[in-house]
Amino acid sequence: MNSRGDTRTAVAFLLPALSVLGLVALYPILALFRLSFRERILPFGIDVFVGLNNYVTLFQTPRFWNSVAVTAYFAVVSVTLEVLLGLGIALLLARSFRGVGWIRALILLPWAIPTVVTAKLWDWMYHPDLGVLNFLLAKGGLPPVHWLATPATAIHAAILADVWKMTPFAVILLLAGLAMIPGDLYRAASLDGATRWHMFRHITMPLLRPMLLVVVLFRVIDALRVFDLPYVLTGGGPADATETLSIYAYKMLFQTFQFGYGSAIGVVMFLLVALASIFQLWIGRNDFRRLVGRAP
Amino acid sequence: MLRLSFAVYACIAWLLIGGCVPGSSMEEDGRVTIVFKHGKVFGDPRPLERMLRRFEEMHPAIQVRDEPLPPSTDQQHQIYAINLEGGGEGLDVLAMDVIWVPEFSRAGWIRPLDEYFSSGAQALFLPNTIQAATYQGRVWSVPWNIDAGVLFYRKDLLEKHARPPPSTWGEMLDTIRIVLAGEADTGLYGFIWQGRQYEGLICNALEFIWGNGGEVLAADARHATLTMPATRDALSFMRDLIHRYHVSPELILTADEETSRHLFGTGRAVFTRNWPYAWTLFEREGSPVRGKMGLGSLPTFDGRTPVSTLGGWHLGISRHSKHPEAAWQLIEFLTSSETQKSMTLATGMLPTQSALYDDTELLAVQPILRKLRPILAAARPRPVTPFYPIVSQILQSEFSAILAQRRPPHIALQSAQRQLERLLRLDPL
Repeated sequence: MNSRGDTRTAVAFLLPALSVLGLVALYPILALFRLSFRERILPFGIDVFVGLNNYVTLFQTPRFWNSVAVTAYFAVVSVTLEVLLGLGIALLLARSFRGVGWIRALILLPWAIPTVVTAKLWDWMYHPDLGVLNFLLAKGGLPPVHWLATPATAIHAAILADVWKMTPFAVILLLAGLAMIPGDLYRAASLDGATRWHMFRHITMPLLRPMLLVVVLFRVIDALRVFDLPYVLTGGGPADATETLSIYAYKMLFQTFQFGYGSAIGVVMFLLVALASIFQLWIGRNDFRRLVGRAP
Repeated sequence: MLRLSFAVYACIAWLLIGGCVPGSSMEEDGRVTIVFKHGKVFGDPRPLERMLRRFEEMHPAIQVRDEPLPPSTDQQHQIYAINLEGGGEGLDVLAMDVIWVPEFSRAGWIRPLDEYFSSGAQALFLPNTIQAATYQGRVWSVPWNIDAGVLFYRKDLLEKHARPPPSTWGEMLDTIRIVLAGEADTGLYGFIWQGRQYEGLICNALEFIWGNGGEVLAADARHATLTMPATRDALSFMRDLIHRYHVSPELILTADEETSRHLFGTGRAVFTRNWPYAWTLFEREGSPVRGKMGLGSLPTFDGRTPVSTLGGWHLGISRHSKHPEAAWQLIEFLTSSETQKSMTLATGMLPTQSALYDDTELLAVQPILRKLRPILAAARPRPVTPFYPIVSQILQSEFSAILAQRRPPHIALQSAQRQLERLLRLDPL
């Protein structure tokens, strides 16, 4: 086999896809970078090059750092919960029992519902007077909680809704990962007298690791860009407590037409997501290779 | 076979050519088509539809293409910005939230209307609506309807406890205390308003601030005045309504107009601040508060006159319109006294021409207009500046922080002051 010929063929095959990507992904990203170096505010009618000015302002603005903190907190907590819950549920559903097929199908439901609908659904459940959560609290003799009205509860309310919606995504991928583990390994292990914990620790976990990393990668990327769920629930409030980077950028770009400043937020988000992805790809570099089945 | 494929090619060519020429606005018979974009402002779309058909009958040379926009005002704002900044010609007449008028005029998206909208014609409208349409000495839009914050109260509960409708905040606090103490219903709230982090919060806050003699921007809109003690005290009072006097529940921080309307409309509150549209819905057949409530001006601070925030929708002409004359004729028709009267009768929209508030026929059907007139006429426009959306965005964040007790008022207001001053310095004018 001639590896240079292989490369040439590969490039030829990739070219159409790469050029489309260049058009729909690379160009907008470059335009975003360009815009972030300009002061462009539509109602002021100004459009001038200002170098790094927007970034300097950005880094001096507490509201920006607040949105970074909100985004990071949202991502870490929601992804951790989703992966742990997803793993637990996947392990349960990997066994065969009566009705497991139904449950596997039903569990996907929250994920299939459009996010805006999910947000409205939870909005009603969180309603201080009519919501089911306060109804349950009242049944238990507890005082009502104004879930979306205080900064501390609002962010967790958003996280809970996200966990409800996205855990099924983790379950499905992890179920697929579990299905790929050959059953012989477990049978051999049990012949050797391994306990359940040993099997989980030494067979399931190592072999599931690539899929776990994929789930974390996808979820982290998504969570860092989260917009619709908190936006519909709270609009970013109260007191910016649920204002993620996406929501902050949206307000600056599309509610007030500060294109330069808003683009700088977009660039920061892009870099954040890119760094997080590269870091995770590097951590899982060997696992991913195994997952796509590339010959050594 | 050959003939068929030729026909197919011809069809494709025809489609392509046809597809490349966007709906030309001059038709063969000499009729002019103008495009009218607007949100569904008045609920039921049919009355407006009827008005547009009547306009076409009266002006046979003009055809109106009616293009309703998505219901969210945010989206409408974006659609206009994209269309108008891009120089699109598919838009002649546009309905604007009153706060967008200076922004759109400064951005060069709409035409000044001085040549059409004579001062004599302007004098027919409520003066504050004209004030909101005037920027840099020119008039940019014609007021289509008007809105102002009003107080709704439970007449039955107030009468039962022998309390008059409050004229000051102090009286309101006393009344709430008395009513809540006398009523067994523990789920009854005192005062519901709009404290969610959005534009409505600013409308509410300005009523407290202006009602206390405070300001957010200097008269020339070149400087922020958020560090005025009167402004700070007004915001402290709003926070205290929730956290000190406990007359407004914490859920205020998530409440918009509809949440408030729902709470008051189901009999859960003694007082609420809302726009007059809620009146019709409270009085609807089957409404729990039907016939049990009253409407009046908002309370104010001791020794001051109450101030309501002015809202409403205006009509303007796109800078890129090819048919400004025809566009003007449509605007003149829609804002004429006759059309406004029909629309008010059909939809309950609040008219902008002063004389309609004396129209006996109208008052017979909508008696509430008599009560609303002084409130509407005294309502104050939000700062008439092209940066209003930016100003509001900064204030929403800081005011919400005050209400949620994340930052004390003086700190939040200093922060807002700094951010606003930085932005105002960017203005090249």
